Amino acid sequence: MPTRPSNGNPSPAPPGDLEAVIEQERLPAGREDLPEPLIAHSQRERILNSMAASCAKKGYGATTIADVCEPAGVSRATFYELFKDKEDCFHAAMELALAEAMGRIVAVYSPDKPWATMVRDAAATFLDLLATRPGFARMALVEAPSSGERAFELYASGKRVLQSLLERGRDDPVEEQAIPSTAGRAALSAAESLIVGQILAGNTARLPELLPDIVYIAMVPYLGQEEALRQSRQAERAIVAADD
Amino acid sequence: MPQGESAKRERWRPPRGRHRLPPEVIARSQRERLLEAAARVVAEKGYGPTTVADLTREAGISRTTFYAMYEDKEACFLAAYDTIADALVRRVSAAYEEEGDWPRRARAGLAALLDALAEEPGLARLALVDVAAAGPAAQRRYRAALQRLMPLFDEGRDFAPGGRNLPANTSRMAIGAVAGLISDELAEGRAEQLPDLLSDLLFATLVPYIGPAAAAREVGGRGQ
Repeated sequence: MPTRPSNGNPSPAPPGDLEAVIEQERLPAGREDLPEPLIAHSQRERILNSMAASCAKKGYGATTIADVCEPAGVSRATFYELFKDKEDCFHAAMELALAEAMGRIVAVYSPDKPWATMVRDAAATFLDLLATRPGFARMALVEAPSSGERAFELYASGKRVLQSLLERGRDDPVEEQAIPSTAGRAALSAAESLIVGQILAGNTARLPELLPDIVYIAMVPYLGQEEALRQSRQAERAIVAADD
Repeated sequence: MPQGESAKRERWRPPRGRHRLPPEVIARSQRERLLEAAARVVAEKGYGPTTVADLTREAGISRTTFYAMYEDKEACFLAAYDTIADALVRRVSAAYEEEGDWPRRARAGLAALLDALAEEPGLARLALVDVAAAGPAAQRRYRAALQRLMPLFDEGRDFAPGGRNLPANTSRMAIGAVAGLISDELAEGRAEQLPDLLSDLLFATLVPYIGPAAAAREVGGRGQ
């Protein structure tokens, strides 16, 4: 039985130092000036976009090189100049998706912000990103976890970064009690499961509406019910205000 | 809903080869035999490498019989998956029916789930991890099976003082937390150690409904 590298307990970077965590996970560095990198002009980026689109439409397993080349308007020869094979291309598309996600999260992250504000902003920006990039959303959260070791490892590193961000809540818990070390991972799995359910149901565009639920589940182990509910309602009001 | 010791102890793994089956099982339909064989083979080999020939050989049926029942490997796997999920949900539900308040019953249900999974690491991995690799239809089946546990979690709303005010997707997320923690263990090959996870799973189940302080008290045992 193949075993995967442990995703349970990443060797801890100092809490609060998110960029160090990203560095440690060897993720493509989050650039602060990401100028819509997925709106591609180069052949390479067009190919990565159509890889994500095909994964969303028919899944990674069923995707062929032709599915990737035709919408991108490139020849097979060009494809093989840029990528070794389908898996190599998928991996590059995952790296691009992660780079953008990490870039967005680093942009809202600041050690000076209260933890709750930071978690809410990170969750909001992550949901918005997924909603505007449905192909990449499905690729990164539905396909990658089940498409081989390399893709799984990238997916798992992204998740560990989010976990580190969340676990900063352990620094200043309002209530004094024994919170299990798996609380952050549990909250992240809870949010992920809700998000993946919506993606599979074809509701990717409506993911931002999940913010109040996700804010609640992320905060309740650390801040208690009352404060987590207050934060959740505040997030809900912000969504309603944005819709008006 | 089945209750009592027999239901709690019900084996959720299909019996090993045909030769060991008691007469009444041999008399069962070829379909049941095939579904049991499919669960066994996929749990041992993984979904990808399994062929229709593996399934017919293990079930002792002809290819013609196979294709009369199922269009392809995937259709057969999905039907087998439903059978496994049924057995698991029945076992969890039987344990959950135990006397006591909601946290106590949640603990009993989770313990039954962990014991069942630890008994059969191959099936456990099939049910919670490998299912993701078997395509979108299988993933939907997996999620549908999880949703069948929803009423058990929703009772947390009735139990909790402020249960009505909780976010709409609270139960869906609590189930996701439990399934995620279990899948992480299974993916790392730690099926046999799953029962050690009970405290963490109980905390993850209770915390959205009753908050961290009360959840920690329940995990630690009352009166402490």
